[in-house]
Amino acid sequence: MAERVRLTEPSPHARGVPTFIGRPGPSAVHRLNPLTKATLATVTAIAAVVLGGIVGPVLLVTVAVLLPAAVAGVLGRLLRLSLLLALPIAISAFLVNLFFFPGGEQVLLRIGPITATAEGLGFAIQILVRILAISGAVTLFYLTTRPADLVVDLERRGISSRAGFVANASVQTVPAMVDRAIQITAAQRARGLDTEGNLWRRLRGIVPIVGPVILGSLAEVEERTMALEARGFARPGRRTLLWAPPDSATERIARWAMLVALVALVAARVSGAWS
Amino acid sequence: MTLRLSGVGYRYAGAQRPSLLDIDLDLPDGAVVGLVGASEAGKTTLCLVASGLAPRTVGGQIRGHITLDGENVDAWPMHRLSERIAIGFENPATQLSQVASTVFEEVAFGPMNLGVSRDDVVERTWAALEALRIEELAERDPFRLSGGQQQLVAMAGLLAMRPAHFVLDEPTAQLDPAGTRLVGDAIARLAADGASILVAEQKTDLLAEVASRIVVLGEGRILFEGPAAEVLADPRLTEAGVAEPAAVRLRRAAEVAGLDPVRIVGAIA
Amino acid sequence: MTELRTEGLVHVYGDGGVRALDGVDLRIGPGERVALIGQNGSGKTTLVRHLNGLLRPTEGRVTIDGTDAATMTVAQLASRVGLVFQDPDRQIFAGSVDAEVQFGPRNLGRSGAELREAVAAALDATGLADERRTNPYDLGGSRRKLLALASVLAMRTPVIVLDEPTTGQDARGVARVRRIIDALAGEGRTVIAISHDMRFVAETFERVIVMRSGRVILDGTPAEAFAAEAWQLLASTHLEPPLAARVGERLGFGATPTDASVIESLAAEGRRA
Repeated sequence: MAERVRLTEPSPHARGVPTFIGRPGPSAVHRLNPLTKATLATVTAIAAVVLGGIVGPVLLVTVAVLLPAAVAGVLGRLLRLSLLLALPIAISAFLVNLFFFPGGEQVLLRIGPITATAEGLGFAIQILVRILAISGAVTLFYLTTRPADLVVDLERRGISSRAGFVANASVQTVPAMVDRAIQITAAQRARGLDTEGNLWRRLRGIVPIVGPVILGSLAEVEERTMALEARGFARPGRRTLLWAPPDSATERIARWAMLVALVALVAARVSGAWS
Repeated sequence: MTLRLSGVGYRYAGAQRPSLLDIDLDLPDGAVVGLVGASEAGKTTLCLVASGLAPRTVGGQIRGHITLDGENVDAWPMHRLSERIAIGFENPATQLSQVASTVFEEVAFGPMNLGVSRDDVVERTWAALEALRIEELAERDPFRLSGGQQQLVAMAGLLAMRPAHFVLDEPTAQLDPAGTRLVGDAIARLAADGASILVAEQKTDLLAEVASRIVVLGEGRILFEGPAAEVLADPRLTEAGVAEPAAVRLRRAAEVAGLDPVRIVGAIA
Repeated sequence: MTELRTEGLVHVYGDGGVRALDGVDLRIGPGERVALIGQNGSGKTTLVRHLNGLLRPTEGRVTIDGTDAATMTVAQLASRVGLVFQDPDRQIFAGSVDAEVQFGPRNLGRSGAELREAVAAALDATGLADERRTNPYDLGGSRRKLLALASVLAMRTPVIVLDEPTTGQDARGVARVRRIIDALAGEGRTVIAISHDMRFVAETFERVIVMRSGRVILDGTPAEAFAAEAWQLLASTHLEPPLAARVGERLGFGATPTDASVIESLAAEGRRA
């Protein structure tokens, strides 16, 4: 029988924080502080909207989204994901502006009662570029940052542990529910629920699957709350963190610089210095 | 540090009848008290009351008093009580915090909430993982473990709180014999280290090995109690809807058949 | 009524992932009471999910009365093989016990008197006849488990598979499950149960199949499965024989998997003396 570990004495195998906690990311971009990346994404998104014309936003996206994505090795995924994310809105916004731009005179195409105008096309392209820029900026953040890391960073900076917990738990809820839904589907199929038949039959199958997913999740919430409270969750005050993403003076300066640049840009636009 | 329930009664919010009546229970250091009874006899309710979750989190009304070493804890908030009394549940998955991507962080969750130093958190976490022999699971995703493994992780999470008292509500209900064995061993070691444990169980064989006293519950009241060996051999056990340990059952079958059980007893030992 | 066969059944999860079943050949005849035992990960759960089509073979095949299960959908197979899952809360969705039990048979096309009768019988057998209108979540966990069992019993399938039917049950609940299994077998239905309660296995089933690493390593009566010669095999997969078997061995009797068999041997010995 292995030696007994007395809980009141220091562990004979004294170890530190395990290395798999807060493992640094695979690229310099991954390793940036989450707040820096969040700032970059926000500033890029807003600046893309504020900047006039087309060249400006395109240049911005290249420098602030595509270049970091390439460095991080996620360029391919970024392009696919951000396009997927933006496509529905982008297509409708593009078409609406192409055909229904007020004051458009130079006609390019006529389809029945609606006409596509050159002015409309110009505006539509501008809108498209901005939508893609926002989508790209957000996707870059998502691909290079673990949500839990952002939450921990915010907690280190002062948001309450409870808020942090809620943020983290929400992320985990989806995979937990999906897992539950899979198991429930199996159980209901075993009771003859037809998931392979025609559409009507499959639609009828929604309640026996969604029902237990929700009911079961609710029932779990009660038990989970008890278990959490029993582990000191409701204790007022700060909790000890095992690890937090590192930050640096350089990054702090960079964040401020980005914010200042954004404010300057907005001011310039508002005051009419640019077209 | 003795946890004592005196004249405790409890009724769930909106319930017609109380679920617990006249409960007097002592949980001294180093004791393992087994709690048995038919389903719905009140074992889970008693666990919730003993840990303080009822009425604090669960609601409902409580009568009587609960004291820790003589000090009345009726007014203590839940987070303060959770540093002294830990409670574990039957379903391992619901005990996971869902915010930890590794077992290590899961087990560290409790101590982190306590606000102790980081070194302390880390040390407690490793000690708890080792006590339950699950160090090799430290890097795993708790969500992807088997039910039995999750239960051990949950217990480690409680252990890391270093409470004086553990209340465990059917911890092995969903475990296979190997998992049951692990939990049983952990319970024995905790008790040897001085913690006291109230463990509700259907598996009287397990209790025969680890419990020093057994309390038999029926319809919310204590039917009878006493030293483990005596209670488990008591004929009133089956009337109370509790399965006797295998050894007791075999011995009794021999007696009923008019045979001398002494050889069987010898073979069991 | 129904014969189940697996021929060279292999199951690999994912792409070249875990080989959960490594060539299983079984024949289970009508009316058999079979216990499937083995460690977690031995393949028991994977095996039973092949019986109702929830999983499809990577290699080999499963036949029901000679028909390849691969030619039938899960919904079709559900009328032949009922499966009661271990966790009732991953199945219960209705607002009343009655509605919950009706779900299965309705899916199979039962209605009218036949449906009512099946539901009533299932509720009686599981002791839930007085709880027809009760919300399942107002029942305790052990009774919800019986509810899950009732909902599959009402489907009246010729084969019924139970995944850990006694976990979370008190003594009376276990006795009830045993009675239900006996009744099913009496009707000629096949019962297959995954269980890690060795005493329950020894006393309720006439055939024990032991699995390890995706293979069947022992297939015989409880007496054979728990005889001293098999202990090392059982230990290799972290299983222990019931106390009766160990006691019988120490007293020099033959294989005695159940308490009754120990008593019988003791009595017989007394008579010989």
